[in-house]
Amino acid sequence: MKTFTIAKRILKQLQGDKKYLTLSIIAPLIIIYFLKLFFDSFPPTVPISTFTIPIGALIVHFLSFLLCAILVVQERTRGTLERMLIGGYRRPSIIGGYTIGYLGLATIQATAVLFESLWLFNLDYTGQILFLLFMVIWLLAIVSVMLGIFVSTFAQNEGHVFPFIPLIILPSIFLTGLIIDSDTLPDWAAFIGKCLPLHYAVNIIRELIKPEYTFQNTLIDFAVLLGYIFLLWILASFTLKDTTS
Amino acid sequence: MKPTKGQVNVLGLDPLRDKWKLRNKIGYMPQSPALYDDLSAKNNIMFFGEAQNVSDLEKKTDAMLAFTELTSRANDLVRSFSGGMKKRVSLCCALIHQPRIVFLDEPTAAIDPHLKLQSWKLFRELAKTGVTLFLSTHLMDEALLCDEVAILSNGQIIALDTPQKLLARGKTILNYSENGESKQCTMDSTPESLARVLHQLGLNQNITAISLNPSTIESIVLDMLREKEESTNKQ
Repeated sequence: MKTFTIAKRILKQLQGDKKYLTLSIIAPLIIIYFLKLFFDSFPPTVPISTFTIPIGALIVHFLSFLLCAILVVQERTRGTLERMLIGGYRRPSIIGGYTIGYLGLATIQATAVLFESLWLFNLDYTGQILFLLFMVIWLLAIVSVMLGIFVSTFAQNEGHVFPFIPLIILPSIFLTGLIIDSDTLPDWAAFIGKCLPLHYAVNIIRELIKPEYTFQNTLIDFAVLLGYIFLLWILASFTLKDTTS
Repeated sequence: MKPTKGQVNVLGLDPLRDKWKLRNKIGYMPQSPALYDDLSAKNNIMFFGEAQNVSDLEKKTDAMLAFTELTSRANDLVRSFSGGMKKRVSLCCALIHQPRIVFLDEPTAAIDPHLKLQSWKLFRELAKTGVTLFLSTHLMDEALLCDEVAILSNGQIIALDTPQKLLARGKTILNYSENGESKQCTMDSTPESLARVLHQLGLNQNITAISLNPSTIESIVLDMLREKEESTNKQ
């Protein structure tokens, strides 16, 4: 119940901050357009469709992670997180509330990214595949929000969040199979890639866009993404700090 | 902070075992407003009220806003409020669940004299209703407005008394002129001491002027801290 109170508050705040809301939706759309310009320069033999949706997922992953981490750090530096905890809100409710609240934004981002990619790159999938593609990006957004909350524990101010970008987001680009097949990497690098949630989202998306797709092939990857959500929720519940000290 | 030994009982509850029950009876107003700037005053108060499952929340929120004279700005974003108004919203958030104990961290720091006066009127009204207020301050003249004052040094209480008794720990300097000569005598800051000194002087016609320089609460506290420091150094 209190989870929904927090989620309601976050939605009200988002609604009130039109500039932030607009930027959060427009920024991924602009990046997808740049992606289109970038891929247009490639020879037609390059299978662009296998990169488009996974890169869209990366953009949602990056933005959800970054925005959520910064906002939780802001809550801490302004003293509202401490006040929430003293006032009777519990850590799991706060994390749940944040996730549900920002999921609203992540849903809009995922939908916008998905449909812009389909339109710009002339991609055509069945309704069922589209729904599953949306679900993958959406689940990845939940993981990103929780990862953001977890990482915020190690940051004393908003600036401290930025070193986590090269630590988490950049390895996701190079080691998760987004650009090159992770099996071609050295074992240790492939292992790091497999520890990052984007790896599983990319696996599912690549399977989904194959004509011979079967749900069984992606079952484990879906389960791992759900496992990430559960694990990060538990971890963040234990580590969420109320003060900056 | 984890306890090492001993037992604590607050309002008949164990703070470790009954943590959540106790939070329902305690209000906290931090030094910084700790509010959501992009929410209205009313939404801020209701958000913290919902944490404590306050019944008739909207009605109680309106009553709190009226109590702090903020009714006309209830639906305005906190972002547009002055520092003093934010403090009042913050106080409403601390009081919305009608706590029995309230902690106020420097509630009147950096606010204008009029608002300070108004805040103290509020605190007094609350105290009259049976609420215990713990107020931290660096302003000694403000500490004197409390029923009891605790002086803290390095996390230890070095004095706990009524403001009158704390003031009585100081000395008063009596300056007077006798036959054109300026004289001075030091005495305890009690009316009885003054009477005793005046008796000794006989208050004869030659004493033409008397002025008193009692110790201020700041100087008394500074003396206490100095004494504490000296005793610590000796150990």
